[in-house]
Amino acid sequence: MNKHFTRWGERALLVLISVVVLFPIAWMFLTAFKQPRDAYSLSLNFVPTLQNFVTVFSDPWNLGSMVMNSVTVATVTVLIAVPCASLAAYSFSRFCVRGRKFLFFLILSTQFIPAVVIVLPFFLMFRSLELLDTRTALIIVNLAIVTPFVIWMIKGFIDAIPTDSEEAAMIDGASRFRVIKDIVLPMAAPGILTSSIFCFILTWNEFLFALILSRRDAVTLPVGLVSFRTERGDLWELMSAAGVMITVPIFVMALLIQKHFTRGMTAGAVK
Amino acid sequence: MAEVRLVDIEKRYGNFLAVPQQSLTIEDGEFLVLLGPSGCGKTTTMRMIAGLEEITSGDIQIAGERINDKPPKDRDIAMVFQNYGLYPHMTVRQNIEYPLKLRGVDKAARTKRVQEMADKVELGALLDRRPSELSGGQRQRVALARAIVRTPKIFLMDEPLSNLDAKLRVTMRAELKHLHHELGVTTVYVTHDQMEAMTLASRVAVMREGRIVQLDTPKKIYAEPANLFVAGFIGSPSMNLVDGAVRNGMFRAEGIEVPVSLADREGVVIGIRPEELEIAGDASASINGKLYALELTGDSTLVTLRSGQTMLCARGPADFEAPIDAPCHLTPKPGARIHLFDRASGQRLDGTRH
Repeated sequence: MNKHFTRWGERALLVLISVVVLFPIAWMFLTAFKQPRDAYSLSLNFVPTLQNFVTVFSDPWNLGSMVMNSVTVATVTVLIAVPCASLAAYSFSRFCVRGRKFLFFLILSTQFIPAVVIVLPFFLMFRSLELLDTRTALIIVNLAIVTPFVIWMIKGFIDAIPTDSEEAAMIDGASRFRVIKDIVLPMAAPGILTSSIFCFILTWNEFLFALILSRRDAVTLPVGLVSFRTERGDLWELMSAAGVMITVPIFVMALLIQKHFTRGMTAGAVK
Repeated sequence: MAEVRLVDIEKRYGNFLAVPQQSLTIEDGEFLVLLGPSGCGKTTTMRMIAGLEEITSGDIQIAGERINDKPPKDRDIAMVFQNYGLYPHMTVRQNIEYPLKLRGVDKAARTKRVQEMADKVELGALLDRRPSELSGGQRQRVALARAIVRTPKIFLMDEPLSNLDAKLRVTMRAELKHLHHELGVTTVYVTHDQMEAMTLASRVAVMREGRIVQLDTPKKIYAEPANLFVAGFIGSPSMNLVDGAVRNGMFRAEGIEVPVSLADREGVVIGIRPEELEIAGDASASINGKLYALELTGDSTLVTLRSGQTMLCARGPADFEAPIDAPCHLTPKPGARIHLFDRASGQRLDGTRH
């Protein structure tokens, strides 16, 4: 009886939390399909329209170019950060280098610095390099933010792989790089994929640096959202439509990450 | 096939001395077992031969060639790991094939060779499974097949049977022995199981705290342990070791009197194996005490006798019966080997026959 009650209590709590968390997102989705006159009404009774999506992709909003910027910046960042971080993580995990702990701490410590502190130096640096308002600048900044995090994450996955298989491969005749290619990467793949998606999401959502370092050409989606605050007021229905465009890819990735995350956690060598 | 020479090798981890300086020669075609309790440096020694651990000083030679600075892949060795070290993302076939693939053997030859090896270790039907779908014994066979698929100069085996159940262990032991006979490859085998060491080895190196304390044939190690450590480590149940003194050609301790041929001496430890003691009828026996426990093992009964503070064990006939706490008498069998050790140094004093 008591147990039964507790189970129902747990369920009710879960539902409550889900509602609280999901409500703003659900409301954004609804608003994205509303006409401007419905945007401020609390009624669920409205005629849905796709006009908002058409509007945000056409002049003057041009969400398309922002999508391209976001996709490019996030993809290139992942493509550079993850291979580098994988090798770094492997080294941190497997090699006894003098000062390894200190180095690892140093890499992590970059995460302790508030972004606001370094955004101005970055701005000045990129101005001298004439890289302001370019995707290159955003990629460089995002790499700096994301790489330590990904190293830290992938190291966790590699640490969990027993060294037996690697040693066996070395004795079977594989060089260190061959071991990484044939043994470590396939075994760490779920973890690396998880980290890649994480890295993509972080970069995709990055706001502060993109806001300061871009003006017109390199504006990314999160920054683009701000442009819907106009002198005519906040265009909620357009902002929501753009919000949906930002959210959907991440939703898809979150679904992927969920599947692979559990795999990443439960995989590992055969004992 | 090759001879392995370890010359004055030493291994330190920072200030910790794992394997103190020593030398060891493993003859061509020999089956050498490194035996010792956990943490005695036997695995470290093997990993130094494999190249998985660097040596702090000294030289390792395989077939006369110094290989200190060669990575494992260039040492032409094969190794079977305690946890098998299989590649979980590859099928059994790919696992066995991998060493050949790395050496650029062409596809047709590989397939043929893998099939041969799989048949040899009775895995022929399981080639397309993954290691996670196999039982412990089958995984062990995959590891073995992967090691023998090419003919290396040396086999290294690190407690390969310790994850198997008792019955399978005995079967696999025999298979390993047969395999060694068939291939004749120099083998170094690490174990803490004295039974494995005794049954498999051409020679056994008993290790303690990084040092080889005795290196000899299993027969010799059993019959003439060089010191107290080896005496206590080899044999099951282990050798009875009793503190006492020798006076007038007689070893004496509480409840024990055994004639020995040794000059008078204090601080002597006597060692008699349980299988070399027999139950005697009366109080004129060498060892007198009370019966402490009887354990039937099937073919015999282990008789434990308590004399003062000392416990002694004898292997008696299976039908022996007596009430606990009844007076009990043991005596060395005629021709029994009596071992004498110096208490302080633990070293063997001249042994004698009864």
